[in-house]
Amino acid sequence: MLHRRVLQFLIIYTLGLTLLLVVKYLLNLSDYVIPSPESLINTSQQVFSRYFGDVMDTLLVAIIGQVVSICLAVLVGVLGRQTTWFGSFIKVAAYNVQAYPIVAIAPIIFILLGDGFMSRLLIAAMICYFPLLLSILGIMSEPVVDVEHFYRITGRIRWQLEIKIRAFENIHKLTTVVSGSATLAMAGTIVAEFMAANAGIGYSIRIALYQSDLSRIIVALFLIGISLSVYQGLLEFSGSWVKKTWASA
Amino acid sequence: MLLACRHITLKYAGSEKYVLKNFGFEIDGPGFHALFGPSGVGKTSLARILIGSISDYDGEIVKRRIQSILYSYNMERLPGWSNVGTHLDRITPSAKRDLKDEMVNAFGLASFCSQRFSQLSLGQKNRINLIRYLVQDFQVLIMDESLANVDEITREKILLTIKDLFPDRCFFYISHNVLEVSKFCEHIVVIRDANKQPQAHLIKGQNFSNGHPLDKNAYEKTMLEIMNAS
Amino acid sequence: MNRRRLNPFLFIIVLMFILQFLSPPLTSAAEKLNYRLKWLFNASVVGDIWATDQGLFSEAGLDVLVKEGGPERDAIKELELGQAQFGVASADQVIRALSKGSPVVVVAQLFQINPLHWIYRSDNMKIDRLDDFKGKIIGITYGGNDETIMRTLLAKSNITESDVKLFSVRYDFTPFFTKKVDIWPCYINSQGPILKQKLADAGEGVAFFNPSDFGVKFVANSVVTSRKMLENNPDTVKKFTTALLSGWRISLDPANRDIVLETLKKYDKNTPPDILALQLDLTRDLIKPDAAVEIGYIDVDAWKQTEEVMIVQKVISSPVSVEKALQPQF
Repeated sequence: MLHRRVLQFLIIYTLGLTLLLVVKYLLNLSDYVIPSPESLINTSQQVFSRYFGDVMDTLLVAIIGQVVSICLAVLVGVLGRQTTWFGSFIKVAAYNVQAYPIVAIAPIIFILLGDGFMSRLLIAAMICYFPLLLSILGIMSEPVVDVEHFYRITGRIRWQLEIKIRAFENIHKLTTVVSGSATLAMAGTIVAEFMAANAGIGYSIRIALYQSDLSRIIVALFLIGISLSVYQGLLEFSGSWVKKTWASA
Repeated sequence: MLLACRHITLKYAGSEKYVLKNFGFEIDGPGFHALFGPSGVGKTSLARILIGSISDYDGEIVKRRIQSILYSYNMERLPGWSNVGTHLDRITPSAKRDLKDEMVNAFGLASFCSQRFSQLSLGQKNRINLIRYLVQDFQVLIMDESLANVDEITREKILLTIKDLFPDRCFFYISHNVLEVSKFCEHIVVIRDANKQPQAHLIKGQNFSNGHPLDKNAYEKTMLEIMNAS
Repeated sequence: MNRRRLNPFLFIIVLMFILQFLSPPLTSAAEKLNYRLKWLFNASVVGDIWATDQGLFSEAGLDVLVKEGGPERDAIKELELGQAQFGVASADQVIRALSKGSPVVVVAQLFQINPLHWIYRSDNMKIDRLDDFKGKIIGITYGGNDETIMRTLLAKSNITESDVKLFSVRYDFTPFFTKKVDIWPCYINSQGPILKQKLADAGEGVAFFNPSDFGVKFVANSVVTSRKMLENNPDTVKKFTTALLSGWRISLDPANRDIVLETLKKYDKNTPPDILALQLDLTRDLIKPDAAVEIGYIDVDAWKQTEEVMIVQKVISSPVSVEKALQPQF
C-alpha cells in the first residue's frame, strides 16, 4: 500500500519532469524557462535539506489541521445525521458554506489571526473540513437497515450504537475519505503559506516564484509529493489495520 | 380475540395502486399462524403496519394483551465487530440464557458461535438471527421468510422447536411454501391482490406439532383451500 | 478497465501540453505582436495604454495586443515560448534570466527611478541617514526586490540584522496601519497616494524613503524582447519601441494631462479619479525625472550597479555582463 503510493508518485513525477525536459530541448528553451538537469541537481543539493524541513513543517500543520477537521466533521456529521430540523439545518449549512472558496475567506483570516501558525492551521482545516463533513454526513445519515433493524425494534438503539454500526459498515469509505482529505489539508496549508505565512514549503515556493526559480519549485514538488504519498500510504495502512483489528476483536 | 385488522386500506404516497384495500382478519389467541400470498401482495406492508412503522393507513388494528410485536426478516445481519456468540450473549436477557443455549443447540449452531456473522452460510445466518428475536420479550413475532435459506429438514425441526418452546406466543410466519404453512400453521391468512375482495381469507391449517400425527387428507384439503383462496 | 480509461486521458493532456508549446509563434502571423505588461492596467503603464488606445502602433503598421500582467506572468518566459514578442520586465528579472542563458535584450528603460520606496509615519520618525534605520522594524518581502535593495542599503551603512528588525511583508498593509511595523515597502506611484490619503484621514503624516537617494540604484521596469526578434526583425523592434515611447512621451506631457486621465479612467475603473491624477503625476516624475533625460533612456551604470548588487546579495552566482543585453532601439 505504502510502496505502491510512493511508486505511483515517482512514476508521475518522472513523467512530468521528462515531459518538461522534452519541451525544453525540443524548443531550445533556456534554463530560465525550464531548468536543465544539472541545475536541478545543483539546486536540490543547495535546498534539499532546508526544503525537507519546510515540507515537514507544512505536513505537521496539515496533519493537525486534518485531525481538527476530522473531529469537527465527525461531531457535526453525528449531529447532522438526524432527520430532525436541526439535522437538516446543519446539512444545508454545510452544503452552502462549502461553496465559498477558502482563498476568498483567507484574507479575512489573516487579518484576524495574523500570518502565523493559527492562520495556516485554520485554512488547512477549512479546506479539508467540508469534503470530510459531506462524506461523514452522508455516511452517518444513511441507515444500515439490515443491521440496525433488530436494535431499533427491540428498543436497544442508542446514538453511540447507531454511529458504531454506520462507521463499521463504511470503514473503507471513511478511510478513503480521510486519506483523500490529507491531500486537501496539505494543499490548504501550502496555499495559506503561499499567501501569508512566514514558514513552510508554500512560503519557500512563493520566494522561489518571486525569483522565477523553477528548479526550486520542482524540488519542492518532489518533496511535497513524496511526503504526501508516504503520509497517505500510512493513513491507508492504518485504515486497513483498524478495520482488521475491529473486525477480529 | 388477540389481534384484529379491520378495513385496513393502504396506498403509498405518489402511487395510485392500493397495497391493501378494506383488508381484515382476526386471530383469537396465541399460536403459529401464517401470512400467505404471492410477492408484492402486501405481506411486508401489513407487518410494518402491525409494528407501527407505517402509520398513514386507514382502518383499525385491535390488539389485546399485546405489549410487543417484533418483526424479523431474512436479510438481517449482525454487526461484524464481534463473533455471533458474543452478540447473542449481549442481547440475551440474563433470565433467558438457558433458553438461548437450548435453541443454539436445537438449531444446530453450537459450533458456529465463535465465528463472525459474515463467515456463516445463509441458512446459519437465518437461524442465528431468529434466535436473537426469540430470546426477547414479545407477544407477537412476525417471521418474514426468516428461514428462507434453511434446508427443509432443519426448518421443520426449528418450527417444531419454536412451537414447543413458545406455546403461549403468537407467530406470523410469512412464507410462499403452501406445503409448509398448511402443515405447521394453525391459521393461514391468505392475502390476495387488493383488487380482489375480500382481500384476505382465514383458513385453518393442520397445526402439526410434536406428538400429534398429521391427517394427510385434512392436510391436502387445507392446501386445496389455500390454493382456491389465493 | 481503469488503465483503458486513463491512457487516452493522459494522452490528451500530454498532447495539449505539447501543442501549446509547439504552436507557431505569433510573429509569423502578419506582424501580429503580443506585448506583455508586468502588472495590471493602471497609471504606471499609462504610456503603454496610450500607445494602444490612440492607435500609435497601427500608425507604425503594427498589430499589437497589449496584455495585462500579474504576479504569475513572466514576460521573459513568454518571449522564449513565443507567446509574446515584447514585454515589460524588471531589471532583476532580466539579470536572473541572463544568468540562466535566456536570450533576452532590453530595448528601452521605462523607469529612471525605481518606484519601490518605503513609507513611514513622518510624525514619529525621520530617515535622513541610513543610520536612522537602527532600532526600526522594517518590512521586506522575502525573496522580492525590496529584500535585495534593503539588504544592500543596510550593508552599505554597516547595519547588521541585529540592529534592525525585519518583518515579512504581505499583500495587506494591516501591520503598518496598526503600527506593528515602522517602515513598509510600497510602490510610490501606485500605492503611495492611496496610503497617504488613508493615513491623512487618520490624521497622520507620511513620508517616503527612496533608496536611490542613498546611492542604491536598482533599475525597475524596462521593455524587453528576444535576441532572435531583434536580429530577425530589427525594423519591427524599432517601430515598436518608437511607437511605444512616443505613447509615453505624449501621455506624460502635462499639456495632455486631462485627456490622458480620461483615457486612463477607461482602463482603470477601480481607482478614484483624484487618486488616478496623483498617480499619473508621480509616474511622470519616475519616468522623466529630469528634462534632460530622454524617455526610454537606458542607464547603463544603474544596470551595472543592479547586477553588482545582485552578485553581492548572492541572487546570482556569477556576472552576466548585463551591458551586452542593453540594446536601445529608438
